[in-house]
Amino acid sequence: MFLLAVITASAAPQISQANVYVKSFSITIQQDAVVTGTVTDEQGDPLPGATISIIGTKTGTVTDEKGYFRISVPEENTGSRLSISFIGYATQEVAVADQKVINISLKPDVGKALNEVVVVGYGTQTRSSLTGAVSQVTAKNIETKPSANLLQSLQGEAPNLIIQQNNFAPGSGVNINIRGLGTLGDNTPLIVIDGIVGGDINLLNPNDVASVSVLKDAGSAAIYGSRSANGVLLITTKSGKFNQKPTVSYNGNYGSQHPYVALKKVDGWDNAYYKNESLVNSGMAPIYTPDQIQQLKLQGNGDWERQSLLQDAPQSNHTIAISGGGTASSYSISAGYQNQSSNFVGPDYGYKKYNFRLNQTSLIGKLKVNTILNYVKSQNKSHSNADWVILADADRVPLNYSFQDSAGNFLTNPVASQYNVKSVLEKGGYYKSNNDQVFGSFNGSFNITNDLKLTGILGGTINANTADFRRLQVKNFPSGVYGDDRTVFDNSFKNMLINTQLYAEYNKRFNDNDIRVLLGASNESYESRGFQLQQTLTDVLLGTPTTGTLFDAVNSYNSIARSQYTNESSINSLFGRVSYAFKDRYFLEGNFRLDAASRFAEGKRNGFFPSIGASWLVSQEDFMQPVANVIGNLKLRSSYGILGNQSVSAYQYQTTYFNYSNAYGFNDNVVGGAGYNLGNPNLTWEKSATFNVGLDAGFIDNKLALSFDFFNKVTRDILTQRQDVPLLFGAGFPDYNVAKVKNQGWEATLSYTPNSERLQQSFGFNIGDNKNTLLQLTGGATETELAADVFSYIRRVGEPITQYYGYKTNGFFQNEDEISSYPKPVGVAVGPGDVKFVDQNKDDIIDEKDKVVLGNPFPRLTFGFNYTVAFQGFDLNLFIQGVGKRDVFLRGEEVEPFHYNYGATMYEHQTDYWTPTNRDARYPRLAAIGSASNTNNWRNGSDLYKYDAAYARLKNINLGYTIPQALSQRAGMQKLRVSLIGQNLLTLTRLKFIDPETSEFGNNTALNAASNSARNYPLPIFYGGGLDITF
Amino acid sequence: MNYFKHLYIIILIVLAASSCKELDLAPTDRFTDLNFWTVDENVNNALNNNYSGMYNSTLYFYNEAVSDNAYTARGAAVGNPEAIASGSFNAALPKFRNDWSFYYSGIKSCNLFLTYVDENKTLSPEVIERMKGEVRFIRAFHHFNLMKWFGDIPLIDRDISPEEAQTITRSPKATVSKFIVDELAAIASILPTQQNTEKGRITKAAALALQARVLLYEGNRMAEVVAICEKLMNEQSTYGTYSLYDSYSALFNEISVNKTNPETILSLQYVPGERTWTEYFDFAPRSAGARTNSLAPTQELVDNYIMLNGKAITEAESGYNENDPYINRDPRLTATVVYDRYRWINPDGSTQIIYIKPGSDPDQTALNEYNPNGQSSPTGYYWRKYFDPTALSGFRSGLNLHLIRYAEVLLMYAEAKNSLGQMDASVWDETIGALRRRAGFTDPAALNYPGNTDLTNIIRSERRSEFAMEGLRADDIRRWKLAEVVLNGFAHGAKFGDPNIDRGYIRAQRREFDPARHYLWPIPTSELLLNKNLSQNTGY
Repeated sequence: MFLLAVITASAAPQISQANVYVKSFSITIQQDAVVTGTVTDEQGDPLPGATISIIGTKTGTVTDEKGYFRISVPEENTGSRLSISFIGYATQEVAVADQKVINISLKPDVGKALNEVVVVGYGTQTRSSLTGAVSQVTAKNIETKPSANLLQSLQGEAPNLIIQQNNFAPGSGVNINIRGLGTLGDNTPLIVIDGIVGGDINLLNPNDVASVSVLKDAGSAAIYGSRSANGVLLITTKSGKFNQKPTVSYNGNYGSQHPYVALKKVDGWDNAYYKNESLVNSGMAPIYTPDQIQQLKLQGNGDWERQSLLQDAPQSNHTIAISGGGTASSYSISAGYQNQSSNFVGPDYGYKKYNFRLNQTSLIGKLKVNTILNYVKSQNKSHSNADWVILADADRVPLNYSFQDSAGNFLTNPVASQYNVKSVLEKGGYYKSNNDQVFGSFNGSFNITNDLKLTGILGGTINANTADFRRLQVKNFPSGVYGDDRTVFDNSFKNMLINTQLYAEYNKRFNDNDIRVLLGASNESYESRGFQLQQTLTDVLLGTPTTGTLFDAVNSYNSIARSQYTNESSINSLFGRVSYAFKDRYFLEGNFRLDAASRFAEGKRNGFFPSIGASWLVSQEDFMQPVANVIGNLKLRSSYGILGNQSVSAYQYQTTYFNYSNAYGFNDNVVGGAGYNLGNPNLTWEKSATFNVGLDAGFIDNKLALSFDFFNKVTRDILTQRQDVPLLFGAGFPDYNVAKVKNQGWEATLSYTPNSERLQQSFGFNIGDNKNTLLQLTGGATETELAADVFSYIRRVGEPITQYYGYKTNGFFQNEDEISSYPKPVGVAVGPGDVKFVDQNKDDIIDEKDKVVLGNPFPRLTFGFNYTVAFQGFDLNLFIQGVGKRDVFLRGEEVEPFHYNYGATMYEHQTDYWTPTNRDARYPRLAAIGSASNTNNWRNGSDLYKYDAAYARLKNINLGYTIPQALSQRAGMQKLRVSLIGQNLLTLTRLKFIDPETSEFGNNTALNAASNSARNYPLPIFYGGGLDITF
Repeated sequence: MNYFKHLYIIILIVLAASSCKELDLAPTDRFTDLNFWTVDENVNNALNNNYSGMYNSTLYFYNEAVSDNAYTARGAAVGNPEAIASGSFNAALPKFRNDWSFYYSGIKSCNLFLTYVDENKTLSPEVIERMKGEVRFIRAFHHFNLMKWFGDIPLIDRDISPEEAQTITRSPKATVSKFIVDELAAIASILPTQQNTEKGRITKAAALALQARVLLYEGNRMAEVVAICEKLMNEQSTYGTYSLYDSYSALFNEISVNKTNPETILSLQYVPGERTWTEYFDFAPRSAGARTNSLAPTQELVDNYIMLNGKAITEAESGYNENDPYINRDPRLTATVVYDRYRWINPDGSTQIIYIKPGSDPDQTALNEYNPNGQSSPTGYYWRKYFDPTALSGFRSGLNLHLIRYAEVLLMYAEAKNSLGQMDASVWDETIGALRRRAGFTDPAALNYPGNTDLTNIIRSERRSEFAMEGLRADDIRRWKLAEVVLNGFAHGAKFGDPNIDRGYIRAQRREFDPARHYLWPIPTSELLLNKNLSQNTGY
């Protein structure tokens, strides 16, 4: 007897045994039938660690580092069959018959076959035994899409895993959301990295990730209790395998990011003409004479536009990984370096990330010890202003101006007179962040008996983040200066999350029954501290304190003085799972978690979150066998449970008073003030009752796989601000458990893997949709509306939780007759070419009572499509991602011509405006700011601001060629693959002038979200090449 | 090996067990209900917080744009006052909601203070009484502002619950007015005089002067206005010593004068470098370092300034020359408005000429101060009043903003006396005469009592010139029912435009004012939805 650790993914009869576990195989040395052979992958590379077992016995072995195996088949079993399995590959069965040598080439398991091992909360399960809704994305889906951020690689990979970016700047975060918005509060899912709650997904090296499980329903997520209502993302990083010879692999890519700018200004001379037209239409005098316009034309355009502030920028990723293992230990070590330069011109702006990861496992008798250590350094350097300021100033100025003169002076002009934004980028200072993160997880599991295992985990994350900022003074010509405040600040922010867990698992199989029990306890504690020092009027050259330097008391704080940086919270939990399987066909599972959280007052802090699930593997039934060659797999599953959400800031249950500085002055001396925050002692958990029903099916030898889920989630006691109290009350409220939301939807994946000897192809398609409905707002209040610029957001009972709201337009007034007969807003003198609004209540006047819902800002029908093909060493991966339905309201000068006193130019898309010869225009006639026409057309927030943000994007295309092994081995390499990579190359959308993906909303469609001004850092289009080498 | 194994397990179990943490966590940087009010320093801070929320610089300046003194194209960032001025707005305009909320938040904070301050047992009863007086003033001031814009309003004289907020009704304007006047009368006896307290504190005189302003705005209580003004003018040993300061411009431009002059009755306090306001960044000429122009003086305001000979520019023999319009004018014009070829004094004492008229700047590469397709002033005028030569970068200024000056007491007195038919040479000399002398007029024709000419309009015009940019004009045109006259038609700028349109005066904005609706602002729509007992003003 000796011990082997195997991650099995064996065929149906062994399903219930599949897990990450230590299993013994007895290798009987007999003289009779010895079968040997080599197991290889589809490329012909050996597969070490593949499992070979004799069906119907407990006899088995694994391949060695060369993929070689040797197995003795007892005499009585010579008529039997071998099962050859390896994780990620389809299990094959072969008849032994008289064969002495059996070489097997395994095919990747592209379809979601039922024997896939799926990472779930506190363990793994095979897909066949799952009762909940779990999508899993594996390394190969991630590796082909090089990106600095794991979430970008996940976009579109799993249905209803909705990933949106509201900003593409290097190092910026990504919105992640599972199954849409189900609460008015925070919709961010729980992130669990290698079993430890609360890691930062943005800091992972995508190449270190082995799999990502998306737990979507109560059946799968309830074990995470009070944080699970928005779903859970379980990320497992790569580990070494036992009995594997060391491999060294390099994976890298390098390329150029090209900024996507679709916004185009009109020519300077045309702009002057349009400006005149807008004035004349408003009864004012034109300001440009024909001579001046002619002069502008002769002079030609300048370069004052976004394009002049942006440049192509390199991006590279490099990862070296070493992994291997012996009989009692395995390891995986990797080092990664990512460098994403900013597209902004200026000195070396961009994001750099260094990852080091160690994953080591040792077997010491019945004890298995796993240590994971990860260190990340991330550094970001950006300019000293906000991106939107830079882009807004680039946008507002007519094209006849330039940023610089021939001598290189940075120019100002009548529109941008304060300072020149190019001088800000080139010479105006910087913001540099330098963050360190250490993640560790120490996991020990001990097999007390063959059936009982005890696991203890101590893990956590320590972040030590610093940033420094300096604004430099730059003189512009003929006037204007940037950065004359000469601000310098430094800050430091440290936090620590410690997660301890202890749990026991008991697995027992007798006859056709399989029982598994898991019971555990955990604590998570979080602590953070931060401070900042800010000074202004520092030395012009050095940034050091000098004569006149001021200490900025409002923007400086010590660790003890700022609650958003200095706080503490803790959760104690008990959790458990009981699963029962009968005949590997009928599955029943219950999960629970009991949480007690410091965010709530005593008596309100305990929450119990149970779930129950069942599934039925219909295809295993006898009555299905006649159609087994058509319907290979068929499984039905369903779950129901209560999930929780505790996303409120700490201490809200207490009314608190805070002192602050610089409130007022007496005798010209500054004095402090004291404000207050009302508390809500009744604050408690938000609860989501979640129902899921799903089906997994495989057809035609499982070449065609289909998975479908329907869900219904009703969240009550939603933690949000009260909306039923008028403003005259005079104070804001803490969160209350008031609202109720229903979220219903479905998701489907479909994959097709036609088998062909020479051409390997796979098609994968996933799509999901959800629709939320507000069931209760607060007390008796049934709706609340908040203005966002001119239009509004509304939250109304019986409708989706946040919608755009305003007037519906009905074309334009075409003539005086229409003007006299058609309803108008009171007191507005309109003319032909001005906007007509629909008089919803037919009272012959356009007023607030005519406002209606105009659109839904959250993506619906999100989808992904993946196609891979491999042929004689070439492989191609093509990935399309998109949103089938979304409305976006845009505002500002990119929409309204000559917007307020800042917008002085028009864009090409705005030239489709009403004139007597263009009556069927997109935009109304031009009119000056403050005129009745302008007020009517643009100050009444209407669907004039609405754009269709549906899109389909060729997100990634990767064309690779693997050098034939015979050649690469001569150079000492097992594998050498070169590839061409393109990202975001093509987008189909009706929204032409900005990127349709950017949203004003994060994971919280708050009514106070800033309206979308279309001034985000642009989408990068990436072209590059990649190299993969395995030694 | 075994030893190691067991140790590992024991460590894990101990860690897991010991990590069951205490869950009663309290913030370390804040107080709770239990311990806040007992600390004297906290009570002071709570009082200061009420002062801080008494008013703000955005309201102070941008409410000027709902009058005929100024035009703004800044838009939503300052609450869209241009929509109110143009007459095309409805109850959903965010400014109504924001202003309403600002005043009621102030009232809530005052009421909390008044409810809880007695929990403090260590401050002397006299100090607590004085503090309550200050807070009651601020609460009355918020109610006054609400009443001024919205008419009948919910009167909130104690800390109310959310449920009460859902059902409270609007009190008639007369009831609110009576509450304000009674409160101010009551606290006048409690509050100190200016000479007995720190500069910036609310005083007896502030309470009386605000009371006079409330009564003046009523329009039919002029005798009471006269009585209060006479107390302030004649009983200075009781109510505090006040007088006009010699230099009009220094009140707004010289920080030492701005903060220590004998004219200030109440001003919003700022402290250089520490508590500052920055609106001037968008007011000054751009060659003086401004960012954009967001509040432009109108030609109508400029035209209001009389000639040095006391005559309005429209009067016969005024000597006004439309082609050289800025000479021989009321010196307050130069102290207030920047016009073409203005001699601008820089912070370092040097001067520069502000060339505004297009093409007039001898330096052809310079930025044009008037460029109709830029961010320059849409009227061709900028501001000088409140320019702070000591401001930090970004025009962060520590100048105080005058809420009530002694000059206002004098003009309230003149207006009340005149409306009672009691204007005479001595009243004139004490009020308008004194103000004009201080402004720099020397011509007796301007300083002497003009007799029985149109005194009502002279007083109104004097108020407009004296208080331009101090927020009073919007109140005045409403209480005088002048808004329907001056806010209909175009607001103009300087004569840089097409001579065939309005004789060349730039049209800045077309305005409409409907007397049937616009004298009161609408109650914010969202409030009506949440409190069914609230009614809406006529016409909305």
